[in-house]
Amino acid sequence: MSVRAPYLTPGRLTATTAALALLLLASIVGAVLVGPVPASLWRALGQGGTSSADYTILFRTRLPRVLLGAVVGGSLGAAGAALQALLRNPLACPHLLGISGGAAVAGVLALLAGADALSPLVPFAAFLGAIGAIVIVTLGARADGRTTPHAILLVGVVFNALAAAALMLVNTLSSYLQAQGVLFWIMGSLSTQSYTLVAAAAAYAVAGLAWLLRHALDLNLLAAGEEGALQLGVDVERARRAVFVAASLLVGAAVSMSGMIGFVGLIVPHLLRLLLGPDHRLLLPASFLGGGAFLMWADSLARTMLGPAELPVGVVTALTGGPFFLYLLHRDLRRALG
Amino acid sequence: MRRALAVLLLAGCSASSPGPGSSGPPARVVSLAPSITEIVYALGEGGRLVGVCAQCDHPPEVARIPRVGGYLTPSVEVVLATRPDLVIAVPSPGNREAVRALERVGVRMLVVHDRTLADLWTSIAQVADALGVPGAGERLVGYVAGRLDAVRTRVAGLAPRRVLVVVGHNPLIAVGGDNLQDELVTLAGGVNVAADAGATWPTLSLELVVARAPEVIVDAAMGSEATGEALFQALPNVPAVRAGRVVRLAGDTLLRAGPRVPDAAAALAAAIHPEAFQPAPTGITPRAG
Amino acid sequence: MTPLLEADTVSFGYGARQVLRTVSLTLLPGEILGVIGPNGSGKTTLVRLLSGVLAPSAGTVRLAGRPLTAYRRREVARRLAVVPQDPTIDFPFTALEVVLMGRAPHLSALAFPRARDLAIAREAMARLEVAEVESRPLDRLSGGERQRVLLARALAKEAEVLLLDEPTTHLDLRHQAGIHDVARALARERGHAVVSVLHDLNLAALFCDRLMLLARGVVVGQGSPEAVLTVDALQQAYQTQVYVGRNERTGAPVVLPLPRR
Repeated sequence: MSVRAPYLTPGRLTATTAALALLLLASIVGAVLVGPVPASLWRALGQGGTSSADYTILFRTRLPRVLLGAVVGGSLGAAGAALQALLRNPLACPHLLGISGGAAVAGVLALLAGADALSPLVPFAAFLGAIGAIVIVTLGARADGRTTPHAILLVGVVFNALAAAALMLVNTLSSYLQAQGVLFWIMGSLSTQSYTLVAAAAAYAVAGLAWLLRHALDLNLLAAGEEGALQLGVDVERARRAVFVAASLLVGAAVSMSGMIGFVGLIVPHLLRLLLGPDHRLLLPASFLGGGAFLMWADSLARTMLGPAELPVGVVTALTGGPFFLYLLHRDLRRALG
Repeated sequence: MRRALAVLLLAGCSASSPGPGSSGPPARVVSLAPSITEIVYALGEGGRLVGVCAQCDHPPEVARIPRVGGYLTPSVEVVLATRPDLVIAVPSPGNREAVRALERVGVRMLVVHDRTLADLWTSIAQVADALGVPGAGERLVGYVAGRLDAVRTRVAGLAPRRVLVVVGHNPLIAVGGDNLQDELVTLAGGVNVAADAGATWPTLSLELVVARAPEVIVDAAMGSEATGEALFQALPNVPAVRAGRVVRLAGDTLLRAGPRVPDAAAALAAAIHPEAFQPAPTGITPRAG
Repeated sequence: MTPLLEADTVSFGYGARQVLRTVSLTLLPGEILGVIGPNGSGKTTLVRLLSGVLAPSAGTVRLAGRPLTAYRRREVARRLAVVPQDPTIDFPFTALEVVLMGRAPHLSALAFPRARDLAIAREAMARLEVAEVESRPLDRLSGGERQRVLLARALAKEAEVLLLDEPTTHLDLRHQAGIHDVARALARERGHAVVSVLHDLNLAALFCDRLMLLARGVVVGQGSPEAVLTVDALQQAYQTQVYVGRNERTGAPVVLPLPRR
């Protein structure tokens, strides 16, 4: 496709990462300035002061939300890149493996048990659900001490189907308005005002990314074949488990805070891989930065497309990501046949 | 098709064709919505109910009536097992298939609408006609309309206040325009700031709440008061928050298009114009500034 | 001289099904051993046992005198290179990136390849005549080019032992000879040892110092090509009529299947 250097140098890594980081920063500023309500940064910082409407809109409703979008998008992007390498499938999606389903079910159960929609108990319960899902899928996929990508995928998909059924069951049992809460989990929402939440999420996401980066070279070798990786010195079993757990924790945390937002973890790593190459030392940080930027823009669209009412952000990512995904699939099929 | 056959077997040997409803008023009535149950009781015909939906909780006598499934998911088999002469339903997101199934089996079905106040008058009349008590229907309409007028009068002359009615915290779901709840807000002396955001329960972004600057926020969402508090406290320059006019409205009277709408209207009016309602009626927890 | 690689009566099986039974081999530095035999005779399993991917159910595999299990993973990775049979790689790594992977056992986790690593990688690619395609992604290469890139990866490791599993499947005549010339040069120049699993008996006869004939999991012949490639042994192993002649130019045996009439 595009012409790129034959291999990754430290220079290229720093330059590309810096460029993407700038793009992310620009997107943060852009997304904060965009919204269904006009708000002036000038006024907010100037005469109005901290009690002006502009200040409240920009810094109490938009900025935390935009930052959460960056963190969640980054988590999903990096996790997606890692899982695509782990499963040796460039079109794998992080929500496929049941982690998101586990988080959503646990979160909804917490809501039904009486927790408030905005209580921190809900994301906490969701995160526990994600961990539970990770444990179940890891154990279920292990046979003879080996965890193959094939097994992970099969067990994950089945678990996902079960979680989806559980969510639908909850949907029918709850009242109409409780059902709206379930919608939050299925379609996602980045609405938040808490800088504390965003900070915690960011710290967590960066830690997860760092853990994945430790295995970046392993991911390169694994992506090129399991036996090849083995005889190149990779502890395949340990690397696989570590990557699966790290990526799943990233996904679990993201879903706990914002519901299941699809297509970010699928499209962003795939597209960046086409542009930048499959070397994970670059692809992981790039997918993190790119995922954050993409989700922020999707959320901006979600906030502004329909006038006063807002769309769930998962709808926008699906509408932009879906057709693109079909195009990629079509291209792959054509290449495979022709 | 299979399901309908199984249902017929369950229903036993009673005639699968429409019951004796075609001749004479129905004796066995099933209500598939809480608002309909309240209308039937308000018409004085509660004795005819042989099945109600799970969410029906008013008046207290309804507790002894068997349940036939939820408002969203009624059970066709259980409804048929009560051998109804008439089933009354409101279109809900989940019951379309059940209603169709009941119609196919030949049960007499009455579907009434509940979106606007006009729908409410029509539905009272339709239910009363179907039950054979049109006079009671007219009286009920008059009674409810009269009580609504009383509320309207009480706040007449007061300058309307900008109101946001919230029914969900996360996502933030509000009462939109062109529906019964919106009409009640207007009647109660308010201006719904989210009226242009679409007819059914729009999700609002927080910045919109800031921009629309409501003077009163009515928090009718489920969940604790603390959540609503936390949500709105972060928006200190919204007039409602500054003035301490975030009012909690417990229960779901607001959402029920039945004979108790005047109670909901009164609660709204007391929230929007507290100075006209001293002391505050029950069911309202105004927040101190 | 200690053998570089040794299999000491190794067996491997799944339950009742024994894939390999008491197979022994020794490989001295500078030797090229060809492993031949019909399909299902256990050749690939033998390679996987020798590389440590599989553990034998009986017997030991030794590298430079010590059991494979006594080595740390990375050390085995540095000293032993395997080119598996035709793997598919779904990710668009460039040829050079793939060959550079061969340097991974010599680099720490996040280290980037140094100038020396690049030089070694490029030299390996030049030897296998894939230097021109270094910037091309793997899915844009022909089958033969891809195979040579994977061979280059194994060479870039600078490993003492090279295990090749059917390395010539997609290669034309020129390259079939070419890679074995490379293998032989490595063996002679640096004292490396090579095990090559081959379908083509004539190629095996031409390039290998010694042959091992496997049939149904057991060694039925081991020694020089002339000693192993006899009509009786081959007809028994392959269950078909063969003709064995002599290559006049090189003196190596030539084997051809005979029609079954």
